[in-house]
Formats: sequence, structure tokens, C-alpha cells
Amino acid sequence: MSGGVDSSVAAAMLVRDGYDVVGATMKLHSDGADVPDKPCCSLDSVNDARRIAERIGIPHYVLNLEKSFARDVLDDFVAEYARGRTPIPCVRCNTFTKFHDLMRKADAIDAQFVATGHYARVVNGELHRGTDDAKDQTYFLWGIERAAIARMLLPVGEMTKPETRALARELGLNLVAEKPESQEICFVPDGNYARILEEHLGADAPSLSPGPIVLGDGTVVGEHAGFARYTIGQRRGVPGGYSEPMFVIAIRAEDRAVVIGPREELLGRGVVARGVNWLVDPAPVVGDRVGVRVRHRAPIVPAEIVRIEGDEIELALDESVRAIAPGQSIVLYDGARVLGGGFIEAARAARAMLPILAAS
Amino acid sequence: MPAPIYLDHAATTPVRPQVLEAMLPFFGPRFGNPSSTHRWGREARTALDAARERVAKCLGANADEVCFTSGGTEGDNLAILGGWRVLKAKGRTAIVTSPIEHKAVLGSVHQASIEGAKERLLSVDETGTVSMQSANEHVRDDTAICSVMWVNNEIGTIQPIDELASLAKSRGAIFHTDAVQAFGKVEVDARNTPFDFLAISGHKIGAPKGIGAMYIRRGTPLEPLFFGGTQDRGRRPGTENVAYAVALATAAELTLAEHAGESARLSALRNRLEAAILAKLPDAVIHGRGAKRAPHVLSISVPGTDSESMLMALDLQGIACSGGSACQSGSVGASHVLLALGLRADVASAAVRMSLGSLTTDACIDRVAEVFPALALKARGLASVS
Repeated sequence: MSGGVDSSVAAAMLVRDGYDVVGATMKLHSDGADVPDKPCCSLDSVNDARRIAERIGIPHYVLNLEKSFARDVLDDFVAEYARGRTPIPCVRCNTFTKFHDLMRKADAIDAQFVATGHYARVVNGELHRGTDDAKDQTYFLWGIERAAIARMLLPVGEMTKPETRALARELGLNLVAEKPESQEICFVPDGNYARILEEHLGADAPSLSPGPIVLGDGTVVGEHAGFARYTIGQRRGVPGGYSEPMFVIAIRAEDRAVVIGPREELLGRGVVARGVNWLVDPAPVVGDRVGVRVRHRAPIVPAEIVRIEGDEIELALDESVRAIAPGQSIVLYDGARVLGGGFIEAARAARAMLPILAAS
Repeated sequence: MPAPIYLDHAATTPVRPQVLEAMLPFFGPRFGNPSSTHRWGREARTALDAARERVAKCLGANADEVCFTSGGTEGDNLAILGGWRVLKAKGRTAIVTSPIEHKAVLGSVHQASIEGAKERLLSVDETGTVSMQSANEHVRDDTAICSVMWVNNEIGTIQPIDELASLAKSRGAIFHTDAVQAFGKVEVDARNTPFDFLAISGHKIGAPKGIGAMYIRRGTPLEPLFFGGTQDRGRRPGTENVAYAVALATAAELTLAEHAGESARLSALRNRLEAAILAKLPDAVIHGRGAKRAPHVLSISVPGTDSESMLMALDLQGIACSGGSACQSGSVGASHVLLALGLRADVASAAVRMSLGSLTTDACIDRVAEVFPALALKARGLASVS
């Protein structure tokens, strides 16, 4: 229970449906406590979650998962930016924290299920996209253990966000019903992720130090204040004065270069991903047609699996996709079913072919 | 589920019915401001003065040595900052305290260090008792204040306050003791123990939250934290909370009246619980074992468990305990007190504090003696497979 509307409604729905519910708020990070004997952390969100739990008549606990969250999520977030990639901490949080560490806490109190406010569904033991396409959160859930699906309850996954808010009002959860949605990463509430990087890496780290802005042909056209401040597809902070708008098309940590180019150079027809995790059994095979999403809220495009080697996969996309950024995720779908996903390693400008077709 | 069991009296206690009854008139007809000169004011002032005398009597003090506060935290702040700010002008800039103090003391000392105080921490042995040898080394002629708690709130160990206070006095330093967990559990008497400042809290002894008292020995220099009126001799400006002062006086008297019997009762219950748990979990670590302990606290770590999961599982069984101290539960791992004892972090972060009091019966202890080991064994089983 984050103290937001989705998890509050999820908990209230389960209580209404007769489940024996225990509320939990994960404490994952704390902001600047420079006092050695740091005072109790009492975030407003935790207080809201506790008040909702009292309101719906369930016990509520704050679970301190700061140490493992720092290890599994924060450290990786920082390391990825330092390597010139664009990480996606929510995936690792779901994989390592919510549907692993929290599951262990559930074990400790004999809780059969872990319920969350995710917009996603469990159908026939498989993970499916949420009913509300605009809110679907399966993009962040591909990394969980397949076995965890059987223990997931996702009560709001069948609803749209407006329906969730309406139900919140109906259930008397006025405290959270109108809460604005947060689009930011939870540990970067102000959206200024560079501050987090500075804290962890030092302000003079290579990824935060000046480097060249270059064109695809290597021409230096400017200077930037640290490549970790850029994301592929970004236009802000990119020099102007060209006949068409320019975007960040690549980030090269080795020479600190931020590569810019016109819109068409941002387009990819193929993608390579690693750390692949399958949520279905049997797993897809080379030659399978799938839908693929390369960014949260990006359209799902048809694609073909052209290569699977160990935990690496390559996909050929039927249509061009914009801003395929290493460090982000790909998620593979069969209709609403979530097949699995992986972390983007590279984009391919041209559409790869199945080996058998390439050979002929 | 069987009736819930409250084993967290060191966190807070219910207001005693007699206390509630005693303070009620001051919310109603006797609502006056004790500084007013009319009949309402006189009536309130009389009640306040009487309450001050009654609290003083409970502490072996003179009435002018008692200052009402909002509770233990304010008392500790006033003692440490108020004393230090006067003495630093005389060249005494050091503050000596122990690493097992309540955060109210450590936070005040930290604030003083921001204002220029030298901070020195005393050594503590593995049972949680402050070393006199260390005190002998650290309390010197540069020391403004030495502050050591009387009874530790997390593990219940009783500190050598008599010796510490005498030592501090012999070196010309002020001696302050946080007696929040001590009052009613050990003998606290200003005539027998040479402390200069002492802080107590009402809600630990059956008064409401928001009232406490500080003892200020005559002649001890003290600068106020607040400024304004002349209430409480200017030491604590602000209109006095007459109802709560009456509540504190009533609670303190009731606590002392039952002290002997209640101490014996709680100590027997605590020892029984401790023995029952050790019988089923021979490797459980009882913190403060072997030291002098107050009768109401049992702090225990079962290796292979963690306090967060244990507290949650216990609460779901209707048994209310805490981790370190109340404000740490649910949000922090190992307590600073247990780490100061030299415990491994995993053992420290497994600690569960059970604190007994007025609500604790034989039946409570029987049930906890059964449920706690069962939950710990289960938690340990889970930990070994994950």
C-alpha cells in the first residue's frame, strides 16, 4: 500500500470480497538524514496508507526494505546511467523487491497472496495486460519469477483509472480518491535524477562531466555537461540550427559522447535484449510472431523472434520504432498475454531476417 | 482470536481511571489560567502548586525544584541544552553521555555539538551497563554535563547512577539522568542520589501523553529553551497545563504506592516468560542478562529471525511488542542501543522488546510463552530455506 488510490482500492476490494487482508507499505529509501541518530521516517504516504488500512479495518505494517532496495535497484540505476544507458528501476523493484522480498514477508505471516495496485491481470495462471490500455503496467512486470504469478492478486487490473477513482469514492476512501498520479520514479520525486547520480557517483564522475556532442559522422558540434543527463530520443539540450529537429540517437560512455541526429536516425527496425525472462511455459521460440513494446506507453508493434541464445534475444520489427534505448525493457506479448521480456542491449537500424531466410 | 495482549508498557501505558477522574474538573468548571488573579485563576494556581508539591514529594525534592514539561524529550532537551549553554560560557564545553541513551538525549547532545560542544561517549559492556572506569576517564574539568539514563528503555538495564552522579559532582559537572523508564521501577529520590537534573514522563506511569516533569536541584544553572512569560520561574514559559499536572501528580503517587508489590509481580512474570522462552529456544539471546535489570523489560533476539517479521507475526496473533524503542518500530533495522553492546547486526536486528505493566496478567504470559517460540521457530524455518 503506497498510500495512493490504486493500492488503497485494491486492498478495500479484497476486504469487500472476504479476504483476510494485511496491509504493508514498503519503506524503500529515505531522503537526506544527516543526523547520525536519524529521526523516525514518517512520510505522508505511509501515513495515508495507515489511515486507509484503519478505515477498511485491516492491520498495517511498514516494512523496511531499504537495504535490499539499495542493492537491487538503486545501485543498478546509478551504474546503468554511468554506463550511458537509461535504466528502468521499476522493473527491478517488481522483480527483486515486490515479488521477491515482499513475498518472503508474506511467507512469514502465512499470507497466500501478494496483492498490489498494478494495472495488470492474472488470467489462467498467466499475466495479462490490464483492461485499461492507457494504464497497463505489465511493461514493468516482465522480470518477476513465473512462480510468483500464482500468488499475485491484482484487483484493479480489470478497471480503468476513472473506475478505480469512482470505486474509491464509493468505498469511502476520500483521502486518496482524488490523489494526483505520480509519473516520477519513486526515489526521484522531483524528477531530477541527476541529483541522485551526483550523490552516488560524485559531481565529477565521468558520466556527469563535460563531453562532446557529435553528429553520426563524428563532427563535434557542441559540448554537454555529462552524458548521464541525456536519454535516447531526447530533444531538450540538443543544439539547434539544423534544417530539421535533432535528437539524441546514441550515448557513448567510452568517449563521453552524446550522438545526435535527425528523426530518421532515431528509428529502429530491430532490437537485441538480454536477461530474458519468460512468464509462459512453453517459452516462445525463434520464428514466433509476437507483439513487442520497447518503452512504457510506446505502441505494441508486431515482430518476429529471429534469434534466442542463452538469455539473449533478437527481434525483427515489422515497423520502425522510435528511440530504442539500451537499459530500457522490451516486453513481448501474444495479444493480452505477457510472454516475457528483457533489457534492451542494442537497436538495429535494419530489419534482421531469420537465419534461414538470410542464408538463401 | 483470543483477547489481544499489550506487552509494550515501555512505549506507553493506559491512563489510570483515578488519574482521568482527578483531571476532569480542570477541563470543566476549574478551567482557569493559573496566572490570573481572579477566583478562577487562584483555583487553578492552587491546584497547580499542589500538583507540583505532590510530584516533588514523589521525587524527594522541594517544590521549587520541579518544573513541568511536555514529557521526557523536553526534559532531556532542557537539561542538556539548558545546562550546557550556561556552562560553556565558563569554559566547560564537553558533554559526556552514553551510546545507549534515548534519542532525546542523543539528539540534544548532537544539537549542542553543532553549537560547539565536545561530545564524548562512555563505554558500555556487553550486558548494557555503562563502565565506571570509562566515566572516570571522560568526565573531566572541561565537562559541562554528564548525562546517563537510569534505566535503559530497550533492554531495561539499570545504570550506576549513584556513582556516576557522585563522580560528575566531584569534577564540577552537572549530572543529568533520563529517568523516564526508572520512575516507579527503581528508587528515585533526590535526597539519596546526587543527580542535578532528572527527567520523567507521565504517559509511562498512567498519566496522559504530553506531560512530564524535570527535577532541577537548587542552585544548578539552567537557561530556558522557550522565552515569554514567567511561568515556572521563567524556566518554562507558557500557560501551564493544570489538568495534566494534576494527572502527573496523581499517577506518580499511585505508581509509588504500588511500587514494591508491582515490582515483585512484574519481575516474577518477566522471569517466568524469559525461562519459558529459553527452554524452547536455548540459543535465544536475552539482552542485558547478567546485569541489574528493571523488572518490566524483556528484550530478546532469536538468531535467524528478524524483528520486523516477528513483530508483524506477533501482532497478527494479537500480541503487541516493539522492536527497539517505539519510534523505531516498523521503519529501522538494528537499534543503536543493541549495536553499542557489540552485538552482530543480524542479532541486533532480530530484537523484540516485551515490556510488562499494569495490563500484564499470568494468562498473558502463558500465552506469549507459547506463541513467541512457535513463531520464532517458524520464522527460522523460513529463513533457512529462502
